[in-house]
Amino acid sequence: MSNNRVTRRQFLNYTLTGVGGFMAAGMLMPMVRFAVDPVLQKKEGGDFILTKQKISELTEVPVKVDFTFEQVDAWYKSNVTNTAWVYKEGEEVIALSPVCKHLGCTVNWEGDPEHKNQFFCPCHAGRYEKNGDNIKGTPPLGPLDEFEVKEKDGLLMIGNTRANTLV
Amino acid sequence: MFWIGKDVDVFLTQKEFIDTAIVPLAVMDGSPIGMKQSASAAEFLMSLTAFVEQQFKGRIMVTPPFTYTNSMPKKNFIEAIDDELKSAGFKYIFYMTSDHSWTSETPELTVLWLPSIPLGDMDQSVKQSVLSDQLRQVVPMLSAKWAGQ
Ligand code: FES
Repeated sequence: MSNNRVTRRQFLNYTLTGVGGFMAAGMLMPMVRFAVDPVLQKKEGGDFILTKQKISELTEVPVKVDFTFEQVDAWYKSNVTNTAWVYKEGEEVIALSPVCKHLGCTVNWEGDPEHKNQFFCPCHAGRYEKNGDNIKGTPPLGPLDEFEVKEKDGLLMIGNTRANTLV
Repeated sequence: MFWIGKDVDVFLTQKEFIDTAIVPLAVMDGSPIGMKQSASAAEFLMSLTAFVEQQFKGRIMVTPPFTYTNSMPKKNFIEAIDDELKSAGFKYIFYMTSDHSWTSETPELTVLWLPSIPLGDMDQSVKQSVLSDQLRQVVPMLSAKWAGQ
């Protein structure tokens, strides 16, 4: 009998370790997926989204630009449409987030006829200057966020929000 | 705000600002002819209330939909819900529905009735513009109440 013959005990050991390994992997894989998933999800929103807005048609008056992306929420996929207020400052394209810094309503350009040239929040009458700066004495405590922008074939692309760089 | 843990945390500290609740009222009809209609009305209602929430997040909380069949004593249920929301601290409570029966049955409640539009086959941008149109119907009714008409 040669030494490297597999004994019954060794055979059982190998098999059980093998099976145990599969079981462990079966248990661990979903856990790893859960741990990694949030990271992967961030990535999806992180890309620039192409809009239908032609850069050449922008002026110094803010216009509403819609953009739609797919949001994955656990197993549920849905299309989410967001908006940006977009205008030109010289040659530079500015895109502001419409989300009010008070409690998150959607602000409108000249939404209040009494305050021309300002963004207005219909919820608690918050107001912002055109560059997003919050007007003192109204509820919002900070300026509107800004979107990163890019151009592709003359069309506007919208990226992530970041803190306002204009005020 | 939605009726979810995170938003309720905000509500509890900001009650003087988040003073309005919207309750979607959705009828469930299982009959062969009624089912499709009731499902697409519910779909419309949920999209519209979510859109209203996006516009008025800081003032409105959208609750889970109240779902009923036509054989249920829905009027009693809704009165209980109304009391509950009042005691939670909401100053204004709106009921949004595509079911016409509410408009006559509950004159003491603020029911916003909107005929349902089948959104199912529309693409996202058409859907979006339909919803904005509908929102334009809703906003004046909200503002009137808020202004204490
Ligand atoms: S949410 Fe905009 S002012 Fe309160």
